[in-house]
Parts: sequence; C-alpha cells; structure tokens
Amino acid sequence: MARTALVIGALAAIVYPIPLQLQGTTYYQTVGFLVLLNAMLGIGWNVIGGWAGQFDFGPQVFFGIGAYTAALLYVKLGVDAWLGLVGGVAVAAVVCAVLTYPLTRLRGHYFAISTVAIWMIVQPIGSTWEYIGAAQGLFIPVKTHSTIVGAALALQFSGPTKALGYYYSALALFAVTLALMAWVERSKLGFYFRAIRDDQEAAEGIGIDSRLYKVIARSITAAVFAGGGVLYAFWALSVFPEQVFELNWSTLPIMATVVGGIGRLWGPVLGAAILIPISQIMSTMLGTGPLAGRGIDLIVYGLIIVVIAAFRPTGLLSLPWARWVRLERPAAA
Amino acid sequence: MPRISLRLVTVAVLVVASLAGSRTAPAQSKVTEVLIGSVLPLTGNFASLGQQYLWAAQTAEDIVNNDYDIQVPLGPGKGFPGLGGATMKMIVRDDQSRGEQARTIVEQLISVNKVHWINGEGTSGITSLIQPVVESAGIPLSCHPCASPTLTEKSLKWFFRTGPNDKTMVASVFSFLKEWPEKGGPKDLKTIALFTCDNLFCQDNRKVATDLAPKAGFKIVLDLTTKTGATTLASEVQRLQGANADVLFAVQYPAETVVFENDSKRAGYMPKVIATSNGAYSDETWLQAQKKTNGAAGWLGRDPTAIDLAHERPAWKKVNEIYKKYSRGQNMGELAMREITGLLWMADVINRAKSVEPAALQKAANETNMSPEQLIIDYKGIKFENGQNVLATGVVTQVGWDGEKHTLWPWDLAAKANFKPIFPSPSWQERESKPKPAN
Amino acid sequence: MTELAQAVVNGLQMGFLYALVAVGLTIIWGLMEMINFAHGEFLMLGMFGAWWLSATLGLDPLLAIVPIALVMYVFGVLVYRHLMRRVQGGDPFTQIFATIGLLFLLQNAVVAGFTSDYRFVNDTLLQRLGGARLNVLGLTFAVPLLLAAGLALLLFLLLYLLIDRTEFGLALQATSEDRDAARLVGIRPQRMFAMAWGLGAALVAIAGAILVNFFSVYPQVGLQFTVLAYAIVALGGFGSILGTLFAALLVGVIQSVTVVYLPPAFKDAFVFASYLLIGLFRPQGLFGRF
Repeated sequence: MARTALVIGALAAIVYPIPLQLQGTTYYQTVGFLVLLNAMLGIGWNVIGGWAGQFDFGPQVFFGIGAYTAALLYVKLGVDAWLGLVGGVAVAAVVCAVLTYPLTRLRGHYFAISTVAIWMIVQPIGSTWEYIGAAQGLFIPVKTHSTIVGAALALQFSGPTKALGYYYSALALFAVTLALMAWVERSKLGFYFRAIRDDQEAAEGIGIDSRLYKVIARSITAAVFAGGGVLYAFWALSVFPEQVFELNWSTLPIMATVVGGIGRLWGPVLGAAILIPISQIMSTMLGTGPLAGRGIDLIVYGLIIVVIAAFRPTGLLSLPWARWVRLERPAAA
Repeated sequence: MPRISLRLVTVAVLVVASLAGSRTAPAQSKVTEVLIGSVLPLTGNFASLGQQYLWAAQTAEDIVNNDYDIQVPLGPGKGFPGLGGATMKMIVRDDQSRGEQARTIVEQLISVNKVHWINGEGTSGITSLIQPVVESAGIPLSCHPCASPTLTEKSLKWFFRTGPNDKTMVASVFSFLKEWPEKGGPKDLKTIALFTCDNLFCQDNRKVATDLAPKAGFKIVLDLTTKTGATTLASEVQRLQGANADVLFAVQYPAETVVFENDSKRAGYMPKVIATSNGAYSDETWLQAQKKTNGAAGWLGRDPTAIDLAHERPAWKKVNEIYKKYSRGQNMGELAMREITGLLWMADVINRAKSVEPAALQKAANETNMSPEQLIIDYKGIKFENGQNVLATGVVTQVGWDGEKHTLWPWDLAAKANFKPIFPSPSWQERESKPKPAN
Repeated sequence: MTELAQAVVNGLQMGFLYALVAVGLTIIWGLMEMINFAHGEFLMLGMFGAWWLSATLGLDPLLAIVPIALVMYVFGVLVYRHLMRRVQGGDPFTQIFATIGLLFLLQNAVVAGFTSDYRFVNDTLLQRLGGARLNVLGLTFAVPLLLAAGLALLLFLLLYLLIDRTEFGLALQATSEDRDAARLVGIRPQRMFAMAWGLGAALVAIAGAILVNFFSVYPQVGLQFTVLAYAIVALGGFGSILGTLFAALLVGVIQSVTVVYLPPAFKDAFVFASYLLIGLFRPQGLFGRF
C-alpha cells in the first residue's frame, strides 16, 4: 500500500507541471519548485534536528556556502552547475565537520546558540569579502542552450520552458535526497542518531561516540542544504549574502518539518506542501489591492501556524488518517 | 487486483482533471485595461520604503485614469487616449522584502495575471533577482528609484530606469564639493571619512565615493563599513573622531542614522561637513522627525529635484496634493518623486505605443525623448541608453535651520534658490539652543 | 589608553541596555527553558506602547513603564495559557514553530495597525538630559545612559531577589528543574509557567519603554536586540540571573572594544566568536547551573 502511494505520488509530481505548461501558467510550476526545494531542505534538516535531536538553527550557512561555491566555480572557472553541485556539497560538508566537532561539547540550547553564532560570523564575511563579491554578490550570466538536454545538463533554463526545467531539476534533486535519507534512516547511522537523541548518556554507554555521530549528522544536513543552495543559485542567477544566508532558509524548512511531523521522513514533504501554497494563496488574496502593505496575509499565516501548533503539537502526519492509509510505519521511537 | 485499478483510476483522474482544466487563451480583443504588475517590499526590512512606492503607484494610477488639469503625461483626460480610453490598473503585490518571494510573484504576475509591464522592486538587490525572469518573458521591466549602477550594465533589452544611478548621484555631491571653494566655499577641506552600512545599497555608494573622492581632491583617511541594524555606533564614532576628517560621507538607513546622531551627540563629534547620498536623507519620516531636534541642519546630500524651487512648478504642487490623499498627509519625498515620474513616463510609453504588444512597448520606450517641462522633477529630460535615462541628473541640497532642503548645486539653480550654505556643520549645543522649526 | 578606556565605558553603558532586553528572556528561556522566537516582538510591543502613550497622552516613557508592564504581564500569561501550554506537550521544536507563528502575527498586526514608518519619541525626560555628560578622569559618561543603567541594575537586583530569595522564586526554580517533583510538594506547574511568561513579557516590555528614549520605533526593530539577548543569556548560563547581567556587560564591552581596532561590520560576529571561545572552555556558560 505504501508502495502504491509512492508511485501515485511520483506520477502526480511528474505530471503536475504539464497541464500548467499547456496553459502557460508557469507560476504554479515555480510554486512547485519552492515546495520541492523546501521539502528537500526539511528532509535534510530532519537528520540533525529530527533524528539526532539537536537544535540546529544554522544550516542556512551551508545553503549559502553551497550557493557561493557553485557560483564561484561557474563564474571564475566555467564549471557547470551539476559539477558545481558536487563541489558545493563537498565544501559545505567539510566546513561543517570542521566547525561542528568542537561545538559538540555544547549541549541542548547552548549548542543551538553556537549554530546561530556561526551564522552571525559568516554573514559579515559574506558581505565584506571582495573575492566573492562582497555586498554586491555574484551574478550568473544566463547562457541560452539550443537543446533541452543541454540546458538540463547546465541547469540553465531560459525561454518558455524555464520554470518547467527548474521544476524537474528540483524534483530530481529532491528524489535523490529523499532516497538517500531513506537509506540513512534505515541504516546503522540512523539508529545511532536516534539513540543519541533519545538518551545521549545511554548511547555513549553502549559505545556510540556521540560527538562523532553528531558531526556526521550535521554534515549530512549541511550537504543537503548546500545542494539546495546550488539549485537556488542557478535558479535566481545571482548570489547575494543577504539572500542566501537569510534565516528564512532554515526557519521555513524547520516549520515544514514540524507541521508534517519531526523525525518522520515524509514530514517535511507534507509540511512544505501545506505551508507554501497557503502562504502563496494568502499573499495573492490578502497581500494586494487595498489591503496591500498592511501585512494581513502574514497575520493570517501566523494565525494558521499558531493554530496548527496549538491543536496538533506532534505534527499533522501523526493524525489518524496517516495510519489508516498506512503511508509508512511510524518512525522508531 | 483492486490495487492496480485504484492506481490506474487515480492517474487517469489526475490527467483528465488537469487537461479539463486547461483552456486555450482567449482571442486578443480590444484592450480595455492595461495591467501593470507592481512588486514592492511592503512588509519586512524595506517596508518604510515600499509604502512610499505604494502611494506613488496609487497616485500615478489616479492621474492616468482621471481627468486632471496638470501638465504631466496622461494628466488631462481619462485613461490612455492612444488605446481608446483604456484604463491603467496597477496590481500591487507584497514580496516581504524577500528575493525568492519577489521572483515568484513576478512569475505569477506574468503567467497568471498576464500583466503587460512589471514595475518594481524598489530595492536594487531584489530587482536584480527579478531581471532575468522578466527579460526571459520579454515584457518591459522598470525600476525608477533603484540606484545600483549594475542594473543597467548587464546589456538587458527589457529593463528601463528613469532615475539616476549611484554614479551620477554621488558624482553630484563630489562635483559640488570640488567646485565649492571657487564659489565662496571653504578652501581647507582636504580629508574625508567614509561611513557606510554593509548592504548592497550603501556599498554601491561607497564604491563610487572611493573612486570619486580622490579625483575631487580629498584624501580618504578612514573607510568604515558598519553592520546594518547596529544597536550602537559609539566605537565607530570614536574612530571617526580620532580620524578627524573634514568631511564625513555617510550612507546609512534612517534607524542607524538616529543611532549615529545620538552617539555623536554623546561623544561631542561633529565634522565640518556631513555629506550623504540617499539613505536617511531621502526618507521623509526621518526628515520630519529631525525638525524636532534640528538634527539634520547642515546635512547635505543629493536630491533628484530642487525641492525649494519645485514650489514654482504648479504641476509639482498639484501632484503632491493627489499624493497626500494616499500618504496620510505626508509630502512627496524624493523617492516618491522618482517613482511617480517613472510611472507617468511608463504611461506615456504605453500611450505612444498605442498597443500593449511587448515589441511596440519596447520600441516606444527606447524612442523616448521627453522634455523637462513635463516632469515634476529636475531631470534634463528622459532619453535612454542601455535602459538608463542619461538625462537623469540631480541637485545637491542642504537642510537649513527651517528643517527644509535648499538647493546648493548646480550653481544656476542655487542662485535662484538664494540660500547661504551652512558651514561648518553646527555643533550639538548650537542645534539644541537654536529654535526648532515648528511642525 | 583613554581610547580603550572610553570604549570600555561606552560598552558598559550599552551592556546595561542589552541587560534590560535580556532580563525578560532569562526568565522564560534561561529558567523555564522555553524558546521564544517572538521575544523581539514583545520588546517591540513595549516600545510601541511607550511611543503611543507618549504621542496620544503625552506620557513620559518612564512613567509609562507601569501601565505597559501590567498590560504585557497579562499578555504574557495569555500567550502561555492559550498557546504555549498546548505545545509544551509536544516536541521542543513545536514551541519554536509556535513562537515563529506568534512573531508573524504580532509583527504584522503592528504593521497593519501602525504601518512600517519609523516613529520617534521626543522631549522625554531622559532625552532632555540628552547632551548632559559626566566627565570623570577624562572619560565621558552619558547621563541618560547612566540613568538607564541604574534602572537596569535595579530591575536585575529585584529579579534576583525574587528568584533566589522568595518562595515564589524557589517554586519557579523547582518547576523548571523537575515538574513532577514540584507537583508533589504542592506547586502548580501550569501556574508557575504562566507567571514566568507574564514576568518575562513584562520585563522585556519595560526594556522597550526605556529603549524608546534612544532608538526609533518600527515593527521590525526587535530582531537586532533579540539576537544579542539570546547570546547573552546563553553566555551567562542558564538559570543564573546575575550571570545574564554580567554577560550583558561583557557583550557590550566586547562589541565596543573590538570595533575600535577591527572592522565594524563584524561587531556582532566578535560577540558570537567570543561565545564560541568561552563555550569551548565552559560549555554551560559562565555561571550556568544547567
């Protein structure tokens, strides 16, 4: 049954943009792109936050590092996007590992502030370091490709199929991330992460090096965020420090994960699929015309979040219907 | 068995539903409404700027659609005469000061609302994020108050800016400083300190200043980049005091400017000249608040128009009255003036093109040769090269003891304004002791 | 040398202002361990309250402290009772999620009501002492800031006495350490949490009423102060009121002194770098109890 649902879901995701393309309403494809991107980030965050149970508010740093690395590789050395992705992911993972190891001395909320600390230190570096463009950032000049395949290989889409191309790129990256994280969840790594979350002392008692595995968990998260950053960079075609280090790149995925259910693989997917369309609809209906500028759409959005939190603190995936359809086994406690 | 048919049925339903939802676009009929998509930062960090652009948009829409006896483009008469009286509708959307939101909204405006022109975003950073999307879609994009020079240095075919960019604006300030000694100004201004915030807007200004200051004969003795959103600038002021430059070139947002003023007061710091470019100096709210403390007296900066002489322009006064309907009584600040000028230019383009076809709009835009008499602003006219209005100039103004801006440069306008420049910049005691302009 | 000393003085003066903002957080987060993303919004509400009372009734912000504190106390209790209490049962991240929603709600409610314009309070008592300076040993002390520092010190002392010396304070501490054990000795945890939220909200609103004398007021003003407040509480150590005060002063001095010699854009970065450095040697903060 779970398999069937997966296939239906995959087919729906693949088919979704086609009628939109025929109608020309490519905006909805972009909304889909944002949902996939944030779902992917949420799945990544779930590793350090949901499974390893650490308070991490700093993964946007690696989102930015991924974006900058790939953009630099392209602008200075002409390295194409997908190779740049590998570079971005590698750099982010290494930087994360190096930075996080000493931080694992800190527990709980102290660790949380240390992740914020890294973010606060990286931001002014981004805005003053001339080599990477400082406050003016990096521009990725658009190169038009004659074939779809060429465009896809370079992650540079233009013309009427632009949004479509980005959507499928996001879908591909999302699918790969999902598959990898599903594998991690079921592997020894996943087991160690959850053991550390549930009771760090007990885990250490049975020989799990909690510091090492926290570093691994966080580096996996960093890698996923870096991947998202690369995708963003080639979608936005510029990398500004204010944009790529924005706190929103971690709060939105975290919110999506909480809405869907922390620690559940599909939690972020459900959460993103709910939160992002809601915010778009709110903005369209309430963020324009005579109500424009009064932030009404954000008030409603905030209200919705507060209500969801108050009435379903364990996430929406924990609602009975998920068990009825048996989408997945509940995550190991 | 049941599972397979369930799967098939679901997929079939999905496909059929989506195909049923698709319609072909309606045949092109006569245009009765010209749709302008306007994406602005109405909430978030840049909200105080965004709301001025919102009021500007409402003003422009009002002027175009209604009959006013004002000598500005599309003032008289209702709607676009060139399109048989079609009206202009501005669809204003809030991007929350976030780049990816702006980009997504622009796609919505283009592909769902089917707008004919995009105006926005108001801040240079986010505007450069939406440029590729609009360029790719092949409809015009305009941003009038965006000042980053890079926006028109990318060889784009669909981007237009009627306002000046930072290069012109900062150049005005330094032209004034360089020529001042010969026109009766102080002859001993030799050193300059730069004091800018760390985001794109301030840094663009700083880059131009580092280039122009030496050419104007100044030695840069200190170059401080401060954190945007700083809660204190006391140590920065300490360093400025130590460097003791003759001129301070400051580009900061209103909130940080207030912090700077308070810290300077405590430290007793006041350079001989405070020169600025945009930032707080462009913000009407800040200027009004300074009237209570004389805080802005002696500050000089660039403006797109000689505000003190603008009262001689009946068109300016009339447009201001309309603007005040939307702005809760606030006068047009210089940002609003740039935006309204640009929006009325846009209306003129649409009118001349007699069509909403992108190619026609682009052609009419590039052919623009608007004379200064039709403008409520002191540009020498509107004429484009690579999307930049090359006749966009500015003046240099100074805030007087009356809390209002007075023209200092160019010298012909300054003669008309007849204002004696305040030099040196008044000390804090003097500011406190002198009477404050009544509000 | 006087340059350095003056920087230290400036830093201490700012440190007391930061302490004011952090004192509310040290109750809710430092003691009760509940993450509140909307802390900056409580500060902003305090600032707006003070501005509004000044603009409509001409009330000086120092006098406005009392009504604002009362209103925000009730508000804090309501937020706990109707929102935070429900999310306490779930994952800690749900608390974060809930308070993010609260942030959107509060910030934009103010935008809707007052727009994003900068507001200024003029002619207040503290501002009229504006340029007054004390010159001691060649160092300049700004009188208004000294007065604000005095208020901060007073608040901290009162809070410390409340938490460490009264039965209520002990009950609060007991609840945060072990809810069930507290219940066994007759303490009602829900009531303790509600009062903690009320107290925290009231304190940070008082901070707002004082800050309004020095800063412009706008809906987005909260973030820059809150980020530092979080660092301060963590640096001082959870559960230690006086630790927060000491950390606030330290942060103010670090900010101030580093910028005299190093690039100002890194002002907050230096504070956080210090946090990391200190954290490596003292993972529970300078005076943390847990």
